[in-house]
Amino acid sequence: MKAVVAFIEHEDGHVRRSGLELATKAADLGRELHVPASAVVLGTGAQDAAQALKTTPIDTIYTGADVPVEQHLGDPAVDALDVLLKQIGPAALLVPATNAGKDTGARVAVRLDAGVITEASDIVVKDGALIVQSPKFGGSVISTIGFKNSPYQVIVCRANSFAARTEPGKGDIVSLPAPPAKQYPARVEEKVVEEAGKISVEEAGIIVSGGRGLGGPEHFDIIEALADALGGAVGASRAAVDAGWIPHAHQVGQTGKTVTPQLYIACGISGAIQHKVGMRSAGIIVAINKDGNAPIFEFCDLGVVGDLFQIVPELTRLVKERKGAA
Amino acid sequence: MPDTSAEKALDPKTKRLNRSRIENVLNPFDEYAIEEALRLKESIGGDTTVTILTMAPQSGTDIVRKALGMGADNAAMLSDDAVGGTDAMGTAYLLALSLKHIGFDLVLSGTQSTDAINSVVPAAIAEHLGIPALTYAKKLSVQDGTVEIQRETESGYWRVASQLPALVSVTKGINEPRYPTLKGIMGAKKKEITMLTLAAIGADSSLIGDAGAKTQVDEFATVGARARGEVVTVSDPHEGAKKIMDFLIAKKLI
Repeated sequence: MKAVVAFIEHEDGHVRRSGLELATKAADLGRELHVPASAVVLGTGAQDAAQALKTTPIDTIYTGADVPVEQHLGDPAVDALDVLLKQIGPAALLVPATNAGKDTGARVAVRLDAGVITEASDIVVKDGALIVQSPKFGGSVISTIGFKNSPYQVIVCRANSFAARTEPGKGDIVSLPAPPAKQYPARVEEKVVEEAGKISVEEAGIIVSGGRGLGGPEHFDIIEALADALGGAVGASRAAVDAGWIPHAHQVGQTGKTVTPQLYIACGISGAIQHKVGMRSAGIIVAINKDGNAPIFEFCDLGVVGDLFQIVPELTRLVKERKGAA
Repeated sequence: MPDTSAEKALDPKTKRLNRSRIENVLNPFDEYAIEEALRLKESIGGDTTVTILTMAPQSGTDIVRKALGMGADNAAMLSDDAVGGTDAMGTAYLLALSLKHIGFDLVLSGTQSTDAINSVVPAAIAEHLGIPALTYAKKLSVQDGTVEIQRETESGYWRVASQLPALVSVTKGINEPRYPTLKGIMGAKKKEITMLTLAAIGADSSLIGDAGAKTQVDEFATVGARARGEVVTVSDPHEGAKKIMDFLIAKKLI
């Protein structure tokens, strides 16, 4: 293996913490394997994103500001990574476990004839090779997976799995040449923002989730207020999504997202197995429910049996008070 | 795929899911794809055909019949003992070859399977076929050889269009899948299921099965149940909120 490369997503130059985590992990693996570690940022704002990545121990940051990733649903990113990785030679490519990250990783893997390991919660070096830990079957089993017959290796990494470190490395910024003009069949016609400035549940460090116990869509505002106060994302159980109270993008569980935040606060969620498999890998689980027999109380770290309509706003007030004082 | 609500057991020798004790079910995500295909056929009309494609052991035939009972026209099934042990990327390769063999204008799939969360498969299939992958669609329409979707994002959606042929993976919210009717189930028995073989689709046997897999499970460990923490019953909301606040501070989460 000649290099470890991290594909970093950004929004107009803003790199989320999950991107810094990925760059830090790539740098650590590079050091251990004695190969260079690099990050790749593409599209408008790539230069700003590169500056943000300079705070991490990464050696090289490839920027491709002219790669039209926003207009063509990731296809240009696949072309750019394909070209770059073939130049670099056999490498490990780390991609984030976001919708776009998974698509990009899968397509690049086909081009490079690489194996893919998904849902990585940790990556270690053993006998000079990368070994990946990946939870399966809703987190009830952790598999340890290696590559074979795969000079190029693609690893899809879960957010909140690695620590991001502020420890500037070499941080050389290398501009990629402008890609040749190409017609892509898929085009993004419009980006519709329904809820501005929200963090996705997959990447959030803190999630406040609401379920059937909320009783209606109008009560999600107390969940949102607490999430905002904590700097977290809003999640939901299947019951709340199926009732049409909140879009599916927020759903945590078997037919929604699998999440791994440091803190998960479940409000009015009973904790059925279909929900549990999506959030049981959270660092700390706090539950608020009026039903003391709810299954969620069997696997939470702190459970409060009481009226969420009063407790949640009060908790929001306490959080704001503390943050205001700090 | 295996029933998602069933107790899972991994075979300690092969490190694969022991399927012998678990009933097969239709992947819930695929039901949305089938429903969307049927709705497209109903809206477009003409000679539009909905074909179900699956890679499954022979025992998967009953699942295919269920899909046919929902209203699909016919099915193709890749069932070959040699595919055992094929990983996600090998699966994408085989499904892509199968699709080339049966022909298509539009491929619809679920975004993921609930058993292994291998949501890389749809994009990998598209790459093998050299067609765009319009993934995570929460709305879909086809007009004059162009497919348009609403791609789910965390803050809303993107409107994405592409000429056909293309692959679209659909999310859960896109529709409410129908149940097979009695008439549909009866009719499904007469519908054709084409059995595909590796030879028929021209698969390179060195790329599939355990030997062709590029990943290898070295070991697996069952994760212990989460310990039950402290549970308190409160009548005063401030007391409950304070309890949580103190806990978060103690855990350095705030």
